[in-house]
Amino acid sequence: MSSSCPVSYPFPWAPAPDIPADWRTMRDQPLLEITLPSGDPAVIVTRYKDVRRLFADERLSRNTSRHPASRISASNDLFGDPEIDNDPPRYLEERAVVMRAFSARRIEALRPVVREITAELMDAMEAGPRPAELMEAFAYPLPILVICHMLGIPPADRAKFRRLIDGYLSVTKLPVDEVERCRTQYWDYLSELIASKRAEPGDDLISELIRVSEEDPEKLTDYQLQHWVKTLLIAGYVTTASQIGTGMAVLLHRPETAKELQQDLSLVPSAVEELLRYQIMGTSLGSLRYALEDIELLDGTVVAKGTTVLLSVESNMDEEVFSDACTLDIRREDNHHMTFGAGIHFCAGAALARMELQEATDGLLRRFPSLRLAVPGEELQRPVGGFLAGYAEIPVSW
Amino acid sequence: MAESRVRVTANSETCVTSSLCVYRVPGVFDQDPEGRVLVLDAHPSAELGRELLRAERGCPTRSITVEGLDRSGLDEADEGTARVEGAA
Repeated sequence: MSSSCPVSYPFPWAPAPDIPADWRTMRDQPLLEITLPSGDPAVIVTRYKDVRRLFADERLSRNTSRHPASRISASNDLFGDPEIDNDPPRYLEERAVVMRAFSARRIEALRPVVREITAELMDAMEAGPRPAELMEAFAYPLPILVICHMLGIPPADRAKFRRLIDGYLSVTKLPVDEVERCRTQYWDYLSELIASKRAEPGDDLISELIRVSEEDPEKLTDYQLQHWVKTLLIAGYVTTASQIGTGMAVLLHRPETAKELQQDLSLVPSAVEELLRYQIMGTSLGSLRYALEDIELLDGTVVAKGTTVLLSVESNMDEEVFSDACTLDIRREDNHHMTFGAGIHFCAGAALARMELQEATDGLLRRFPSLRLAVPGEELQRPVGGFLAGYAEIPVSW
Repeated sequence: MAESRVRVTANSETCVTSSLCVYRVPGVFDQDPEGRVLVLDAHPSAELGRELLRAERGCPTRSITVEGLDRSGLDEADEGTARVEGAA
């Protein structure tokens, strides 16, 4: 493909809690050349139908450690672990080990726990000063406490692993040696955690994974066990925390929509889906893929073998699939957005995330009927150089 | 009453436990202890048609198939979506 002037990705955000202007125009081309934060080239597949098809296409590999795949970051090897083969069939066997923990029944059994944690956090928020900072007071602690409960991690560890994960997820924020230090310390922390669970197993997911790996070391090697714990801990809190905050910011920036939802809380599940579709906490960087073959898109455009490909969550703005796609509609039906991906790499924690988002949204709107942003939405600041693009701080009052 | 002409099948080999079907049509779909899809009612009432088709369409690995329903007038947005064939 000829390189004209590829645009930088992620696209710059609008000043208000709104979608980037580039999302609206992106669909003019089914394939857009972009430059990753590393400076490496990639292409982004923009149209929903193509994205959904390609998520299920085994000619696109998730293993981007191979040469000459492009990197996300110049100073971080995110998603580039050569020891983890993320292609099937090995991937499916590994994934099956953790999937049972995320069945609908297991997630629903956790709902009362989440509701209790939510209530405690809101009690503290209510007793504290106003305005409150929603990220620190609520959005971060909720999923962290939930994942600590699931994985059997002492909640006292949370400040420590938060700092390490934040460093590990740096894309351009930290220099390479600092990222490396966080990575090593995080890995050491996980080794200690797993060792203590081995010595004293509990009724938690890490203990369960250890049992599986002891029964059948071929099924789950020590390295893979540690890799999964690493992934579950990261994915279990950072993304959900960002989305709790982002969803509330988007909603509270539109007081009439927030009011509409408050007056009919049965709309919470569909509102959560719409906020996920309209989501502005994440980018497509996590869906980096490598083309093992030439792959034809629906209009005949070819993704060339050897290309690094992003399957865009921005395809959630495809007007062909979502009517009035750039409008937030909390009553939207058939909202099959691509935020959790599709195909075999579909987010394992999607049902857990949905449940937490529902409980968080319902809880906040119920407890604080006059909840509002304490600064104009345009003034909310995004964290710079990290993997996710939520908000650094969300001051709220009521 | 005649048995429903609707037929629901699911491929547990390709299931990735999104749980979307279980939440969407709980009387028809469930999960085994491993979290993989189970069909509780292979011939549900045609009145569930819309929900069944949503469950079919929403499945991230296309592991659900619904037959015997009139699909005319439905949104064909996912036309061309590849199924994961024999991914396990």
